[in-house]
Amino acid sequence: MSRFFATGSDSESEESSSADEITPKATGTTFNKQALLLSDDEEDTKRVVRSAKDKRFEEFTNIIKTIRNAMKIRDMSKCLEEFEQLYRAFLKSKTIMDKEGVPQFYIRLLADLEDYLNQLWEDKEGKKKMNKNNAKALSTLRQKIRKYNKDFETEIASYKENPEQSAEEEEKDDIGSASSSKSDDDEGVTAKSLMKKKPQEEEKKAPEASKFLKGAADEESESEDDEESEDWGSDSVDSGGESEDNEGAAASLAVVFLKKAQDGDKHPERKKDDRRKRHKKMEQVDEEADEEGEGEEGGWEKVKGGVPLVKEKPKMFAKGTEINNAVVIKKLNEILQARGKKGTDRSAQIELLHALAGISNENNLGEGILVKIKFNIIASLYDYNTNLAAFMKAEMWKKCLECIDELLDILFENSNIFIGENIAEDSENLAISDQPFRVRGCILTLVERMDEEFTKIMQNTDPHSQEYVDNLKDEGRVCGIIDRLLQYLESKGSTEEVCRVYLRRIMHTYYKFDYKAHRRSLGLQGETKSEQDQEESEGEDSAIIMDRLCKFIYAKDRTDRIRTCAILCHIYHHALHSRWYQARDLMLMSHLQDNIQHADPPVQILYNRTMVQLGICAFRQGMIKDAHNALLDIQSSGRAKELLGQGLLMRNMQERNAEQEKIEKRRQVPFHMHINLELLECVYLVSAMLLEIPYMAAHEFDARRRMISKQFHHQLRVGERQPLLGPPESMREHVVAASKAMKMGDWKTCHSFIINEKMNSKVWDLFPETQRVREMLVRKIQEESLRTYLFTYSSVYDSLSMETLSEMFELELPTVHSIISKMIINEELMASLDQPTQTVVMHRTEPTSLQNMTLQLAEKLGGLVENNERVFDLKQGVYGGYFNRDQKGGYQQKQNYQRAPDQRGGYQQKQGYQRAPDQRGGYQQKQGYQRDQKGGYQQRQNYQRGGYRNQNQSSY
Amino acid sequence: GLIRFNDLYRLYEFENGKTQLFNSWGVVLKIIKHYQEEGQGSEVVQGVLLGLVVEDRLEITNCFPFPQHTEDDVDFDEVQYQMEMMRSLRHVNIDHLHVGWYQSTYYGSFVSRALLDSQFSYQHAIEESVVLIYDPIKTAQGSLCLKAYRLTPKLMEICKEKDFSPETLKKACVGYEHMLEEVPIVIKNSHLINVLLLDLQEKSMVADKHELLNLSSSNHLEKSLQLLMDRVDGMSQEIVKYNSYCRNLSKQQQQKQQYLQRRQQENTQRQSRGEPPLPEEDINKMFKPPQAPPRMDTLLIAGQVNNYCQNIKAFTSQNLGKLFMAEALQGHSS
Repeated sequence: MSRFFATGSDSESEESSSADEITPKATGTTFNKQALLLSDDEEDTKRVVRSAKDKRFEEFTNIIKTIRNAMKIRDMSKCLEEFEQLYRAFLKSKTIMDKEGVPQFYIRLLADLEDYLNQLWEDKEGKKKMNKNNAKALSTLRQKIRKYNKDFETEIASYKENPEQSAEEEEKDDIGSASSSKSDDDEGVTAKSLMKKKPQEEEKKAPEASKFLKGAADEESESEDDEESEDWGSDSVDSGGESEDNEGAAASLAVVFLKKAQDGDKHPERKKDDRRKRHKKMEQVDEEADEEGEGEEGGWEKVKGGVPLVKEKPKMFAKGTEINNAVVIKKLNEILQARGKKGTDRSAQIELLHALAGISNENNLGEGILVKIKFNIIASLYDYNTNLAAFMKAEMWKKCLECIDELLDILFENSNIFIGENIAEDSENLAISDQPFRVRGCILTLVERMDEEFTKIMQNTDPHSQEYVDNLKDEGRVCGIIDRLLQYLESKGSTEEVCRVYLRRIMHTYYKFDYKAHRRSLGLQGETKSEQDQEESEGEDSAIIMDRLCKFIYAKDRTDRIRTCAILCHIYHHALHSRWYQARDLMLMSHLQDNIQHADPPVQILYNRTMVQLGICAFRQGMIKDAHNALLDIQSSGRAKELLGQGLLMRNMQERNAEQEKIEKRRQVPFHMHINLELLECVYLVSAMLLEIPYMAAHEFDARRRMISKQFHHQLRVGERQPLLGPPESMREHVVAASKAMKMGDWKTCHSFIINEKMNSKVWDLFPETQRVREMLVRKIQEESLRTYLFTYSSVYDSLSMETLSEMFELELPTVHSIISKMIINEELMASLDQPTQTVVMHRTEPTSLQNMTLQLAEKLGGLVENNERVFDLKQGVYGGYFNRDQKGGYQQKQNYQRAPDQRGGYQQKQGYQRAPDQRGGYQQKQGYQRDQKGGYQQRQNYQRGGYRNQNQSSY
Repeated sequence: GLIRFNDLYRLYEFENGKTQLFNSWGVVLKIIKHYQEEGQGSEVVQGVLLGLVVEDRLEITNCFPFPQHTEDDVDFDEVQYQMEMMRSLRHVNIDHLHVGWYQSTYYGSFVSRALLDSQFSYQHAIEESVVLIYDPIKTAQGSLCLKAYRLTPKLMEICKEKDFSPETLKKACVGYEHMLEEVPIVIKNSHLINVLLLDLQEKSMVADKHELLNLSSSNHLEKSLQLLMDRVDGMSQEIVKYNSYCRNLSKQQQQKQQYLQRRQQENTQRQSRGEPPLPEEDINKMFKPPQAPPRMDTLLIAGQVNNYCQNIKAFTSQNLGKLFMAEALQGHSS
C-alpha cells in the first residue's frame, strides 16, 4: 500500500516536496485508498462531476473522523499526519471548493483542532508526559494550524459565533475565502502548479457543474447530517456508537480499548465481591474442617494462605449445605477443571481431592463417588510430574501405592461397582441406589502406569546404594497390587484386560529364579527353614504360574505384542530354570527369530535377553554348540550391554543426540533384572574355546578353514600380543591361558585356568547349580582336550593305546572309545580301532606335502590345458582355412587328436578323482554338517540383530 | 720344457660326427670347486672356458671364474677383468682362447632369457662357443652332471633378427625342442692320473657304504615340483596373454573384413555410376594390428618345463627302478 502511495504522490508532481517539514508518514489505510481513488478519478471528473465532489467530501469526512479519533487518544503525530492529508486533499479539491464553498464541517474541524491544540499546549503536565514524537508533532501541528487558519479566519470566527450556519451563507463565504486563498497562496510551488493545471480542467466542467448546483446543495445538507452524527459521536464517549466501528483500525482499536478500560474498571468491584463471598465460604469450610481434625485443617490453612486466586476456589461447602452426590460431583469437576492448567498447584490439588474424599466418606455418599475421587487422586498423582523422564518422589509413590490399595479394597468389598473406560461421563451412576455403581475409569491403566513409575524409579536410583534396596522392597507391594488386580479382573474384566494384567504379572515373574521350587525339586525341604519360609513355599511354583498365565495369553490375546512378550518371558523363565528343551522348542515354534526385527525396541531388548538366557541355559546343560550359537550374535557385536538394555555405550554425540539418549535411557532394564555381562562373556568364550580349539587343531594346515568365533580369536590375538605373559588376572585372560593349554592337549592346566577360585567367584558361583556346571565343564574340557590331542599328535603315533589315553585324560575307557569312534566316523581321524588290544591304529592317510603339491600341480595343469584349448578354439573359429595349408596340416591333425573326446575324458576323470579323495571329501562333509547345525539359529539371529540395530540407527 | 695340459689328453672321435667336446678333469674340478666356494642354494656361479678348436672338436683345457659381484665395487669392469685374466694366463703359457662359459644350475633351471642372450653373444662372436651347465645337486648325489649346450642355427638366426613374433617363430618352425642342442662331452684324464686313481681304488678298502636303495625322494622331488609349478604358472600367463592377443586380432580381422566388403560394394556402385573407385590402401592405416606378445619367453618356459620334466622323469625312473629291484630282492630272499 505504501508503495502505491509513493507512486501516486509522484504522479501528482512535486506535491510532496511542498511538505518539507512534514514528517514521513506511516500511511493510514483509509487515506491511501482515497489518494488512489483521487488520482484515478481525475479523468472521471470530466463526466461525473457530482460523484467527484461526493468523493472529495467523503474523503474529507473520513480524514476528519480520523483526526477526531486521534484527538481523543491524544495521538499528536497521527493528528499531524492526517491534517496534512486533509490539507492536501483540500488543495486538490480547490476548484470544487471554489464552486461549492468551503464545507462547514471543514471549518468546524479547523476550529476544534485549534482549540484542542491550544488546550493541550497549555497543559504543561500533560505535555511532559507525552512522548517525544507526540510532543514534536504537537508543536508542529500547532504552528501549522495557526498559519493555516489565518486563511479561514472569518469562517472560523463565524462558526464560533454561530455553529448552526445555513448552507447558503456557507456557500457564499466559501467562494470568497476560496478566492482569497487563491490569491495569497503561501503554500509554495506545488500548490501553484496544481492550480495551474486544475483550473483549466475545472473551467470546462464549470458549466456542467453549475447545472448540478441544486443537487450539490442537497449533497451539502446530507453531509451536514454526517457532520451532526459525527459530532454526536465525538461528544458521547461512553456510547461509542456503531458508526465508529466502521472507522480505521487504529481508531476502532482505541475504542475497543476504551470500552475494555471501562469494563476493567467495573470488574474489580465485581471480583472484590466474589472474593468476599469466597472468604465467607472458606470460613464455613474451616468450621467443618475443624470437626475433621487438626491435621487436615493444618493442610487446609496452608492452601488458603499460599495459593493464588484460581486455586482458592472453594472445594468445600457452605455450612449447612446438604452434602449430597450432586454437590460433591460438582466440586470434583471444579477441581478437575484446574487440572493441567498453567499455574495450578498440583500438590494442592491432590490435597483437595483427598479432602473431598474425606468429606464424601464422612457423609456416607457411597463407594461410587469415593471410587471416582480415588481415580482422580491417582491420576493427579501421576500428573504431578509434568516431565515424562522425571520419576515420582518417594512420598508421592507411597501415597500412590496406598491409594491404589485402598481403591482395590473398595472394589473388592463392593462387587456392585462397575468401572470401565467405556462408561460415559453422563451414564455414570455414583449415587447410592438399587442400581449398581457405574464409574468411569480404568483401574488397569492406573496399575500399569504405577508399574511404569516403579520401573522409572528403579531406573533412576543408583543401583549400588541402599536406596535401591529400599525401593526394591516396594516391588513386593507392586506385585501384590498386580496380583489383587489380577484377581479382580479375572472375575470382572474383559479378556483383553486380563491379558494385560497377566502380562504385568509375567513381567514381574519371569526373571526371578524360583529358589523354593528349586530347593523342592532337589528335595531339600524342611530342616533349616523358618516358618516364614515355609509359608512362602506353600505358594505356587513360578513355573506353574508362568505356564498358566502365558497359555491364557497365547489362547486369548489378540494383540501381537502381548503374546510376543509373553512367549519371550516364558522362554526366559524356562531357560532360567534349566528347562532347555521346553525353552528351545518354544523359541523355535514361535518363529520369533524371523520377525523380531519388526518389533519395537523394548520387545527386541526382551528378545535379546531371552536369547542370552537361552544360551546360558544351554551352556549349563552342556550343550556347548547351542550355547555358542545363541550367544554369538549378542557377543560378536561387542555391544552386549546396549543390546540387553543394561547401559548405554559411550558414544559421541554425532550418533545420538540428547533426545535419543533420553529415549534410550527410558528403555533401560532396571538393575535388578540385569544379566551379568561378565558371566555372559565367560560362557561365550568358554564355549567358543571348547569348539574352536579342536577345530583349529583339526584344520591346522587347511588354508580354507574358517573361524568359528571371531571374538574368541580376537581374544587369543590380544593374548599373544602381550609382551610379558604373567599369570592371568581377568576372566578373559583366564580363558586365553586355558585355550593355550588346551591346544597342547593339556587338560589339567586348562582345567585349573577355567575353574579356580577367581573364576568361581567371578562366574561359576553365579549359577544356581554351581557344582553341576563345574562338573560338566571339567568333563567337556577333558573330552575336547582329548580330541585336540588326537588331532595334533596323531601324526607322530603309529598306534595309541586307549587305556593310556584314558589315564591321560582321566576319562573312562568307554568314553574314550566313544569319542574316538565318533572322530573316526566323522572322518576327522584316519584311524581304526583294534578291539583286542584296545588300541587306535593310525592310517596315515594324510597327504604328504609332496602329494599336496602334486594335487596343486594337477590343478594348475588343468588350468593350463583349458587355456590352451581356448587358444585353439579361437584359431579354429576364425582361421577356418588356416590349417588347411600343407605346412600346418600335421599340426592340426595333432591338435585334433588331442581334442579327441577320450583324451579329455581321461583327463577329466583324473581330475575328478583328484578332486575327491577321501580326505577332502571328509572335510567338506564335515563343514556341511556344521553349517547344518548352525543354520537355524544363526540366520535368524543375524536377522534379529540387524533389526534392532537398524531401528536404532533409523531413529538416530 | 713345459708340458702343456692338452698334451696329456688323448682325443677320441665320436661316431655321430657332431662337434665333440673334450673336457679335462681339471676344468671339471675347478668348476666344482668354484661352486663349492661361492655358490649357495639357488645362487649361480659363472665363469669363462678356455681352450681351442681342433678340427671338429672343441677342447676345453682351462677355465676361470667370474668374480662374484658385490654392489660395493660398481666400477668393476668384467670385460677388463677377463682380458687381464687371459693375458695373464697367456703369460704362463696356458690356452687362452675363449671358447665359452660355464654356469651352475639349481635343480636344472637354466633355460632362461639371460642364458639365451649371453650364449647368443658368445656364439655370435665365437662360433664354437658352448655353455657348460653344471648341476651341483645331482653331482652331490653321486653322479656328475655336466652338460654342454649350443644354440641351434635356427635360433641363432632368429636371435640375430631379434624378431620373436609368433609369425616368425612359426615360420622358422622353432619349438622348444629346437632351441638348444646338446653337445656330447668326453672327459679325459691324463694316464698318470688314471693310474693314480686306480692305485687309490686298490688301496682304499671297502668304500663307504652306498645307500643304493635310498630313494631320497622327499626334498628333490618337492623342489622340482615347486619349480615346475612356478613355470607352469608362467606358462599359463603367457597363454592367457597370447589368447587375448588372438582374440583382439580376430576381432580386428572381422572389422577389417566388414570394412572391405562395404568399400567393395561402394566401389561397384560407383563403377556402375561411372565414378572412379575409392582407394583401398588406407585400410592398413585404419586397422593397426595389435602388438603381438613376444613368443620367446613362452618358448623358454616350455624349454624349462621340458627340462624339469626330464629331470623328474629321470629321477623317478631311477627311484622306480630301485623300488622294483628292492621288491624283487625281497621276493627272492623270502
